[in-house]
Amino acid sequence: MKRRKFLKTLLAFFSTATLVTIAYPAVRFLSPLKKKIESKKLVINRNEIAAGTAKNMIYQNEPIVVVHDLTAGFLAFSRVCTHLGCLVNYNGEEKRFICPCHAANFNLEGNVISGPAPKPLVRYPVLVKGENIVIG
Amino acid sequence: MFERTRQWIEVRLGIKEIIDSGLREFYLPRGAGFSSTLGAVALVAFLIQAISGIFLLMYYIPDTAHAFMSVRIIMNKVPYGWLFRSIHMMGSNIILAVLFLHLVVTFYRISYKKPRELTWISGAIMFFLIILFCISGSLLSWNQLSYWSTTIVTYIPTLIPGIGGRIAEFIRGGQYVSGSTLNRFFAFHVAFLPFTLVCMAAFHLFFIGRTGFSTNPGSSPEGDSEPQSVYKREINANGMPFYPDYLLKALVLVMVYLASIFFIMTFFPGLFQPELATVQADPAMTPDVIRPPWYFLAPYQIVKLIPNKFLGISAILILVFIFVFWPFIDGVNERNISKRPLLRVIFILSITVWLILTVWGGY
Amino acid sequence: MVDIDRVGGVLMRIKLVLILILVFSSTALADYRETFEKEFVNKPWVGSKVVEEGVCVDCHTSDVMKPDYLGIPQEWKMSIHYENKVSCHDCHGGNPSDSAVSCGTPHSGFVGIPKYKEVPKMCGKCHIGILKQFNDSKHGKALMTSGRGPNCVTCHGSHKIQKANMNIINKVRCTRCHSYKRAKIMKQALFMTEKRISDINHSIRQLRSSGASTEKAKKMLFRTEAGFRTLFHSVDVSLVKGRTAGFSRKLDVIEGMIADIYKEIRFRKNFSAFLFLLFASLAISAYFIQKNNKN
Ligand code: FES
Repeated sequence: MKRRKFLKTLLAFFSTATLVTIAYPAVRFLSPLKKKIESKKLVINRNEIAAGTAKNMIYQNEPIVVVHDLTAGFLAFSRVCTHLGCLVNYNGEEKRFICPCHAANFNLEGNVISGPAPKPLVRYPVLVKGENIVIG
Repeated sequence: MFERTRQWIEVRLGIKEIIDSGLREFYLPRGAGFSSTLGAVALVAFLIQAISGIFLLMYYIPDTAHAFMSVRIIMNKVPYGWLFRSIHMMGSNIILAVLFLHLVVTFYRISYKKPRELTWISGAIMFFLIILFCISGSLLSWNQLSYWSTTIVTYIPTLIPGIGGRIAEFIRGGQYVSGSTLNRFFAFHVAFLPFTLVCMAAFHLFFIGRTGFSTNPGSSPEGDSEPQSVYKREINANGMPFYPDYLLKALVLVMVYLASIFFIMTFFPGLFQPELATVQADPAMTPDVIRPPWYFLAPYQIVKLIPNKFLGISAILILVFIFVFWPFIDGVNERNISKRPLLRVIFILSITVWLILTVWGGY
Repeated sequence: MVDIDRVGGVLMRIKLVLILILVFSSTALADYRETFEKEFVNKPWVGSKVVEEGVCVDCHTSDVMKPDYLGIPQEWKMSIHYENKVSCHDCHGGNPSDSAVSCGTPHSGFVGIPKYKEVPKMCGKCHIGILKQFNDSKHGKALMTSGRGPNCVTCHGSHKIQKANMNIINKVRCTRCHSYKRAKIMKQALFMTEKRISDINHSIRQLRSSGASTEKAKKMLFRTEAGFRTLFHSVDVSLVKGRTAGFSRKLDVIEGMIADIYKEIRFRKNFSAFLFLLFASLAISAYFIQKNNKN
């Protein structure tokens, strides 16, 4: 009888431990994904980028390029080429982003014009607030 | 307090009564051992698949552009997404092993005999349903491996003369495996198959409840092996009660099942995920070796070996037919396999041939 | 009722035949298997073969072709270009789907063999970064002015092109034009960084096959590697040496990322091992309870 009780306690103990070990991931799985990204934004002065030029910077550890276009205004894109990951450069004359590795061309909307890249460049939202540009 | 709550519930639900009359007095034949619990293990395994599947459904996107990425997000971004996905994926493979064992035991004991023919048939149908589950599910992750193995598997129906091509197109929703195949398989996997399987399982359980568990004729022969023309429930008065004895036995094996899932997850995390499975599906890039999933290697090898397409597919269909309707094909009433050497030879041979074909198909 | 022994006999014979087929026919049917697979792979629904260049390959493998050019499609199929779906017209121009093209009358716009000096231009259509470095380099200048410097093909070959490795800089090749001394210094300058890159590449591949997401690290490594190799084309040792520190910092970052992924994988392993132990203990205690219950 004693033995039986011991075994039952043992079973109950392990069951509880297992339940907790499964329940914790389940709760974590179901809880909304944390977006700590939102809080961090990049603010630059609009005079930093002359019209018709672009500036390379780092945003959330990602190399990005901010373009000041005469017609389209301020635009921000990830510089990472969607092909194999080289960094694209902005060409002001052609109004294109050109990848130095295999010559993928992207237009000002980030879409692929030519070359091997499979997807458009990742775009970041830009907000012009007076003298400042807020990225993200 | 606790006691009173229990009383309150007991008065209204009468759980104790259900346990007492329904389960405690549902006796299994005396010799029933762990091998009789494999069906219960399969049931639990299926429930685990269902639950982990629902979890995955919360993040999965059934669309060619996003399917692969969403699986990747589940694996890497969602907290513990990898856990539920791995359980689902490992489970889908091991559940087949459980079913296979269940099948072997049932066959070996010749339990499919009267009055359990329908139990066998519903079980056989469920076996195919689970295979369909595996096939449709594997495509959903939309990687090179699953894309091309689906291509191969959906190639098999084209061997049927005349309408074969149409059937394949019907399955794929087009000329080749594409986004519409993905959507079809998705609907099939998460809506149609679960529903059908649950219905079949209900039948299966109903039959078992009605006829009782079958005995192992080797250890304790069933009273009369005369053909029963009337329904007679076996009472097994001094047998093993369903609750708690049988359920405890089942519990042990269920835990072994779960332990083996996590064992594989710990020590062979890449067992069912070869290199190709980490690349997004690309219809324009045929991999060097394309191969069906392991549970499909044997039929694939049969089709490959028989030089005539029609004969090949007929062989498969005949085998399926024989398998499903085996209780009617085997006409002898003797239920003790030791007294039926021929059947034993068939039994061992078919398993060996199946294994050989599987291994061979893997090359 | 069917007589089981008769049925069994028939089944038995079927099984025997099957076994016979299995054992004796594997060699006889190896052939069949090949045709089966070929036919299978060529089914229209297997997916459009983007890479296959109908017109070009057809002529270049046919009998009318000059024997020297017959092997080109085969060589190309072994190349990294083929792997990445870079096809004939991507370099040679022309319209591969134009049915007016026939063997012997190549379509206009098609460049057969470019002039020796023009080769960098052809490769540079895609490899623009490298072209720029090369044009400014001693190699490039020699090529442009005297026409006797090396072009891309001198080191990389043409159709059977592979991803370059360090052995491309070797005595035989370099001493065709100049002494090996400077080349050797360059090779030494490249060595450490190249080795690190290939090590990281190796671990990324390993991680990938264990299901981890390595996308970001892979892209970062690719651009670091590409940048480093682009730099090499300046064939300027002091430049390479001067920038090596910057590259090695980038590699540090990638290595950090990889270390994180390894950590995550280790965590997963431990977590599932823990669950395995829990379920194993549950199985054991349940086993003893049911055993106890019987007595
Ligand atoms: S990496 Fe940008 S085009 Fe290849």
